[in-house]
Amino acid sequence: MGEHLLANYAEAVAMFLFGIGFTNLLLQKNMIKKIIGLNIMDTAVYLFLAEKGYIEGHIAPIVVNGDLSPETYINPVPSGLVLTGIVVSVSVTALMLSLTIRLYRRYHTLDLDEITIRLKKEGL
Amino acid sequence: MDYILLLPVVFPILAGIILLLKKEYQKRTTLLVSVGIVLLLTGGLAFGGIFLAEEGITAFYLTRTLPIFFKVDTLGGFFAGIVTVVWILAGFFSFEYMKHEKNEKRYYGFYLIIFGILIGLGFAGNLITMYLFYEFMTLASMPLVLHSQTREAVMAGLKYLFFSFAGAYMALFGIYFICHYGATLEFAGKGVIPASVLSEHSTLFLVVTMLMLIGFGVKAGMFPLHAWLPTAHPVAPGPASAALSGVIVKAGVLAVIRVVYQMIGVEFLRGTWVQTVWMTLALITVFMGSLLAFREPVLKKRLAYSTVSQLSYILFGLAVMEPEAMSGALLHAAAHAFIKVALFLCAAAIIYQTGCKRVEELRGIGRGMPVTLWCYTIVSLGLIGIPPASGFVSKWHLAVGALHSGIPVFSWLGPVVLLVSALLTAGYLLPITMQGFFPGEHYDASRFEHKEPSVLMLVPLLILAAMTILIGIMPGILTGALDAFAGWVM
Amino acid sequence: MEIIRNFPCLSILLAMFSAIISSALKGKGARWLNTFVIIVVGALSAAALYMTMTTGESYVYVMGHVPAPFGNEIRFGSLEPGVALFFCVIMLLSLNGGRKKLLLEIDPGKENLYYIMVDLLLSSLLALVYTNDLFTAYVFVEINTIAACGLIMITERGRTIEAAARYMIMSLLGSGLFLIGICLLYDMTGHLLMSYIRVSIEDIVASGMYHAPLLVTIALIVVGLAIKSALFPFHAWLPDAYGYSTVSSAAMLSSLVSKGYIFLLIKLIYRVIGFDTFLNSRIINVLFVFGLAGMIMGSISAIRENDIRRMISFSSVAQIGYIYMGFGLGTSAGMVASIFHILSHAATKSLLFVSGVGLTDVSGGHKEFVELTGSGYRNVAAGIAFMVGSLSMVGIPAFSGFISKLLFAQAAVQHNQFAKLLPTLIVLAVSTVLNTIYFMKTVIRIYTPTGGTSYVAPGNARHEDQKYASVSIKENPLYVITLLCFIILNIILGMCSQPITDWITQGLSVFA
Repeated sequence: MGEHLLANYAEAVAMFLFGIGFTNLLLQKNMIKKIIGLNIMDTAVYLFLAEKGYIEGHIAPIVVNGDLSPETYINPVPSGLVLTGIVVSVSVTALMLSLTIRLYRRYHTLDLDEITIRLKKEGL
Repeated sequence: MDYILLLPVVFPILAGIILLLKKEYQKRTTLLVSVGIVLLLTGGLAFGGIFLAEEGITAFYLTRTLPIFFKVDTLGGFFAGIVTVVWILAGFFSFEYMKHEKNEKRYYGFYLIIFGILIGLGFAGNLITMYLFYEFMTLASMPLVLHSQTREAVMAGLKYLFFSFAGAYMALFGIYFICHYGATLEFAGKGVIPASVLSEHSTLFLVVTMLMLIGFGVKAGMFPLHAWLPTAHPVAPGPASAALSGVIVKAGVLAVIRVVYQMIGVEFLRGTWVQTVWMTLALITVFMGSLLAFREPVLKKRLAYSTVSQLSYILFGLAVMEPEAMSGALLHAAAHAFIKVALFLCAAAIIYQTGCKRVEELRGIGRGMPVTLWCYTIVSLGLIGIPPASGFVSKWHLAVGALHSGIPVFSWLGPVVLLVSALLTAGYLLPITMQGFFPGEHYDASRFEHKEPSVLMLVPLLILAAMTILIGIMPGILTGALDAFAGWVM
Repeated sequence: MEIIRNFPCLSILLAMFSAIISSALKGKGARWLNTFVIIVVGALSAAALYMTMTTGESYVYVMGHVPAPFGNEIRFGSLEPGVALFFCVIMLLSLNGGRKKLLLEIDPGKENLYYIMVDLLLSSLLALVYTNDLFTAYVFVEINTIAACGLIMITERGRTIEAAARYMIMSLLGSGLFLIGICLLYDMTGHLLMSYIRVSIEDIVASGMYHAPLLVTIALIVVGLAIKSALFPFHAWLPDAYGYSTVSSAAMLSSLVSKGYIFLLIKLIYRVIGFDTFLNSRIINVLFVFGLAGMIMGSISAIRENDIRRMISFSSVAQIGYIYMGFGLGTSAGMVASIFHILSHAATKSLLFVSGVGLTDVSGGHKEFVELTGSGYRNVAAGIAFMVGSLSMVGIPAFSGFISKLLFAQAAVQHNQFAKLLPTLIVLAVSTVLNTIYFMKTVIRIYTPTGGTSYVAPGNARHEDQKYASVSIKENPLYVITLLCFIILNIILGMCSQPITDWITQGLSVFA
């Protein structure tokens, strides 16, 4: 068990980070902390993908000197996925932040539960 | 292809819908004439369907294995016939009665729709068609219960709806199994489920049958799910409660016969715990219904409790699973339909003319409304079972069938309970006659002077009373076909 | 015929570009463009459906001429274009039903933003339906989430923003799980195209390796999509999101967005994980239990609710429970029933939302039941439509709900395990009775005349003591026509279900 962890330490770290991010997104009351959790979670996935695509001793998949042999480069697909994922996560984060701003302007708090309680009191 | 089967189903439903969508009539007579024409035409078409159709017709397919199929057999024709007679008579009665009620157009619209639905229920040739019309019947009869739109009516309507749907879904539970295991869904003589399947899954099918019995028994007011009936029936307008109590409850009986006799088959059920439970429930209901009716001071409610009790006579007759008891039960169904409609119409006439609802207010009513009270008395005798009125013959067959069955305890307990209940029936129906005609000394009955209702109300009453006697003297016109049917399914 | 193969891709792109163009248009232009695009996409889907139905095969469209197993693909049999067509119809009707309300509820000048979101939603739904690539599916899941969030918060009130935030958080949790799930899947198989993954998974299962990781992966994906489609017990966000957003949004969210995720899950089960592998994993039993629990709990919450919109929303929880219960049966009959229920629920729930708003509008905007008393007389069309929707939900024959219940029950009765047969039937019956309680309660409430105990005829009451004004049919013809279309759709699903189930069965056979 221990050896496996050591051999796959990057995956282990990624999963650990994913757990931290997930828990934060789920349990934090503060909106900003939730968004931070979201980003940790996404980054963990990118770490996992990047680790999977990396091959020891190979270089980034940018053609140098017309060398097209697959032995030279790392797997480019996971890198592409990471890039796509970053785009997605940036847009989602932006949306979440804009929601947070709106909520803060209205209620002057970042605590989602408190906002809910106030809404109930308002009876809206 | 017997297209004539579709006509009496579709025509009144369409007519009712058109009536509901139309603007308010300028003149009341126009409305009445059109409703009357539709009623009579549908009646003619229905009898045409009963006597002329032979083959049956598939209207369309709900899914490939579930056709909507119409066919008339003895039972279906019998049911549709009762419906037609009662519906036309009660319809003409309402022409007068509804004069002072609001929303007449809505009342007649739904009245016509239910007419079509009930005929469809009778003509249904397979289980799924029957279930379809059964559900529609519940929905379409809701507006009649809700008619007065008071809080009381709404609560009664809700109660009616929940009991009916709870029952219908219990029944649906069983229908799923029959759909899966049955060779066909068409009504057959002795059940459609192969004997090998029945013996393999016997516990399953016993439970399923019990559920369907209780489920369809809701409509027939069988204990333990009877509580809606005395609440829902009396709040409807007079003729509507007559129709509800006289005919719509019989749909439950029809459905029970269809599933127990014609889908599952009595061979399988005879002697099982299902039969015992069923008989017990029926007898409890017979006794309890009579007792509650005996204690009830409001006339319409008393009649509703009486329906609970009488319907279980029929169910007991079916539970015995003997041909004679069954034909007795069916005869009693017909007799009870005419009698109960007549009783409710009498009550409606009294309320319409005098506004009296409670039994004790009716003292001396015979002075002012002798014809009504005579009709009441004649049909009451029929319900109690005094010859020559119809109830006697049917109860006789019922009791004989029960005695012949040889089931331990129930073969003698059944007739005893029926007898006791008959005494109670006399106890709750006849005091009205006695006090009505003989209010005693020192009683001023002048407030009932000249209150006899108009011809439009009296004629249906007289016809119904005459039919009660007719069935009593000449039961042969019905028993022949009913005996043949009982022999076919057993 | 050859050109029809391009239609699915074309329809996705069309929806996407219309969103971009809409950002430069004024509200009215965006509205017309949106209507046009939905109709065109519907027509394209219908053409694709016609082609796949006649040939009975499934087609692969390779994007950008990069050959498999590396490129991105669209794949469609007869099921996908049919679902796309159905989604278009529901979307158009939901939008039409809520147009007037929308203009009242959003700030002036924001109308085009709404239609951008709708266009984006359409394109992402189409992509979820058509795509054959896992990562594309993930990206469009996120686009779908963002578009849905925009639809919720377009009416800028405290409630909707809060609901949108909660919706977003739960959705992101779901898509996080989904993302890590597909990354693990990619790690194990080395493929992103669905059909290739299944081949690898079959090898993996045959070799007996990776048993635990495979189970975890399936669990992550299924739970992720279950959160996003609001399966009990992950439904906490749902009532607020559906209950306070504008009516078109609520109708589309409940009938399209969640259904898009469920359709994706079906696709993953058949095309990625493989039906047999999925069957042998114990996750199917978990889905079954949660589905059953949802059927009961959703209805109980709906009974206790005093707000008509939230009640309809809770009923969605119950209906989604039905769908997952059908998955959980693990037979193809159960799957057919679930897919039919997706359609039937989409048609019915949007009808209920749209007619519900008609009722609340004639009750001074109140959503409590007390205020709704008698609203069925004040807005006749909405009253009738709500009644039809309720009857369908309750499962009265001749409406769509009955057929889906029938299919579920038939699937259950055919099931060989007694442990699944009996709970299904019992819960189906109990849940139906619970449905009856709250829907019929509402129907009777809207047809109870105001004035309580005293007798008031509706004909006279209009002039005397009515609190709220009534609406005649002529005032909003578009709304009435929409409701009529919904009712007709519902009855078609209820009366002519055989061709539809045939189509689903045929589509599923070429789905994998």
